[in-house]
Amino acid sequence: MTTQNKIEIGTKEEITWCPGCPNFLVLAAWKNALAKLIKEGYKQEDFVMCTGIGCHPKIYDYLNISGVYGLHGRVLPVCLGMKLGNPNLKALGFSGDGDAYAEGMEHFIHAARYNADITYFVADNQNFALTTGQPTPTSPQGFKSKAEPAGEYNMPLNPVKLALAAGASFIARINPKDLVHSQEIIEKAIKHKGFAFVESVQDCLIFNMNSKDLVPLMYKVDNKDKKKAQELADEWDYDKKDGKIPIGIIYQEEKPILEEKWPQLKKLRESGKGRKSIK
Amino acid sequence: MRLNILIGGKAGQGINKVSQIVSRVLNKIGYYTFNYRDYQSLIRGGHNFNVLSISDKKIGSIESKLDGIIALDDKTIELHKNELKKEGFIIKCGDFCTIGKNVNIAQAGGLIKILGIQKENLIEEIKKEFGDNKEAIAAAEDGYKTKNSKFNLERLKNKIVNKIAIMSGSQGISKGAIDSGINLYLAYPMTPATAVMHELASKQFDNSSGTNLIVFEAENEISVANAGLGASFTGAKVMIGTAGGGFDLMTEALSFQGMAEIPLVVYLASRPGPGTGIPTYSLQDDLDVALRGGHGEFPRIVIAPGDPIECIEKTNEAFYLSEKFNALSIILSDKHLAESEFSTDRKPNKIIDFKITRKVPGEGIVKASSYEHDKFGNTTENSAIAKKNADERLKKYDEIKKDVKKFEMIKIYGNKNAKNLIIGWGSTKTVILDALDAIDGSIENPLKGKYKFLQVLYMKPISDEIKKEIEKASKVILVENNVTGQLGRLIREKTGIAIKNKILKYDGKPFTSDELKEEILKVK
Repeated sequence: MTTQNKIEIGTKEEITWCPGCPNFLVLAAWKNALAKLIKEGYKQEDFVMCTGIGCHPKIYDYLNISGVYGLHGRVLPVCLGMKLGNPNLKALGFSGDGDAYAEGMEHFIHAARYNADITYFVADNQNFALTTGQPTPTSPQGFKSKAEPAGEYNMPLNPVKLALAAGASFIARINPKDLVHSQEIIEKAIKHKGFAFVESVQDCLIFNMNSKDLVPLMYKVDNKDKKKAQELADEWDYDKKDGKIPIGIIYQEEKPILEEKWPQLKKLRESGKGRKSIK
Repeated sequence: MRLNILIGGKAGQGINKVSQIVSRVLNKIGYYTFNYRDYQSLIRGGHNFNVLSISDKKIGSIESKLDGIIALDDKTIELHKNELKKEGFIIKCGDFCTIGKNVNIAQAGGLIKILGIQKENLIEEIKKEFGDNKEAIAAAEDGYKTKNSKFNLERLKNKIVNKIAIMSGSQGISKGAIDSGINLYLAYPMTPATAVMHELASKQFDNSSGTNLIVFEAENEISVANAGLGASFTGAKVMIGTAGGGFDLMTEALSFQGMAEIPLVVYLASRPGPGTGIPTYSLQDDLDVALRGGHGEFPRIVIAPGDPIECIEKTNEAFYLSEKFNALSIILSDKHLAESEFSTDRKPNKIIDFKITRKVPGEGIVKASSYEHDKFGNTTENSAIAKKNADERLKKYDEIKKDVKKFEMIKIYGNKNAKNLIIGWGSTKTVILDALDAIDGSIENPLKGKYKFLQVLYMKPISDEIKKEIEKASKVILVENNVTGQLGRLIREKTGIAIKNKILKYDGKPFTSDELKEEILKVK
């Protein structure tokens, strides 16, 4: 007879997201994915996260794994450092769209280029919610806010296209309302060897209900072809509310990771130890 | 005995090679050297020069009048002939027109002859540097035989022969980091901090360092500082390095360190600001930002070594303190200390060996936050916890203050009973010692001197002894390489005493020992 230890992947912290926020679904998907991976043999203490600052990054308080609650925009450098410090850890980054694409844009491009084994999750509700609804680089044209009462003039940025151009080796998009699919994509992202970028297209119930209209346009893909990936990336420009929006794995490839290129990190990986425990 | 030789030319003509060869030959026969590097922010062309100062006593500065000029181009003569003493010599590049690319080697050979040093010392050094390269040896020999001896630098019979090593401040910082077991050095290239990046990078595949060191160039200083914290969090011994502008970019992360309490060592090498300033020249103008950069109130350690051996020791202390107190340690240097080449004969203090004992990811659940946080590391806005944590950060600083007392926070040179007190820090240390030695031999003969010199090494925490020393003195003179006397201001903040006599230099060039001597004597 075997006794199964109950994995405590959540914390007892009071959750301060707005009632009904899609972040609750995101949290559930993450908890399920992590619990499943731990059951499969991943060690809970080997996960290490860095979160940015904003609504979504509050997930730091709600996950019972090691981590750093970092600065706005600086999630990926901290994750990179964690891998340089101990390449045996599974580094997870959590950002909102303002964090990832405004303040932290340069790190996003370079993290894709370095291709360290990091899973980067961006909850994109197309606005700065925690600062009360200002536009981010993915806000659609005409998006009105207290900061821009006349509406946003610029076209939004397409992060999926950017990730492809920067060389990300895993690019996926999820709809958190599809919990099972989201969980499955998160698991695949963590298992992917290299920089895995997962974007969640989600509402902000208070400042931006854009994605409500987008859900009917979403359809699932599972693609590994680069050319096809470019077409998929072009299907939705983050502005229009018609046509098709691919979710699922938009692109995935195997290529050497940072931890394999540096002999010093390779040595640590082979020993299975971090800096502290090797001589 | 003291000689000052200027070696000038265009960038890329091999000026540093001449200094290097001549210094090594001189060190080997018992002479001390100090090599000042003056170069522009360009890669080929322009006008660069070194001043190589030579003495039979320990030196750490140059003098303003030259005994000789080695000119790799004509512009060098034009620009520096006014600094040449009446009886001074010039070795022109035209003296060796036919030699081709080894003109600088021939000139080095010529200089060795002028100094009156035996040829075999030169040839031995050339072979060490170039192997059996026949052209290089021939050039050196040609240079040697072309010139006549003007001085007679015999092999000295002092005990320090074979114990003198040439070292720059950057090499000292790197050695101190390796001694401390550094695992990761992160930087974005910026003069004058880059020399440490290059030095450590050259050592990273050298197993003798034994630390599995990585030198990583990140996309900018913001990334450098945040990645430094990420790596330290996972149990690596980390140092990050930069100069003024890059330090400004790091300050948000330094403040993050203050809240998250992840150990971090920062190397800050200053240059003349504000803005891009004069990138390849020297100024001690970043003490203020080292002491205060970063929002909020949190403890930190700021240490300013004054020579390469102190760079080794203080870097080691910075690593130790940072790990022991989960604190931010900043090592402050400048271009003059970082890139000048000193001949050193003192052995550094015993290495402080320390291990990382805190729990790190992989061993359990560990959390560190930039938000105010509870004992689990989770976010809190509770006023009672916020106050308690702020008090604990304050208490931590008190503990740091107590602990650093075991290190040399200040050093006093010269006659302990002298009434004239000079105060300085960082790269001005060695030039002050040379100037005082020239005044009354106070360094060599401590009882004879009228002056004593107080070197401040710990800027934060700062030593209580400084106040006592100032109160004992009848005349106090502050010497700094900056516009406003930043150490003076810090001393005033901590002691309430304003130092009125200030010798400040802020043209991007270091003090010369003879000029500083005159300035000191002018203070009545």
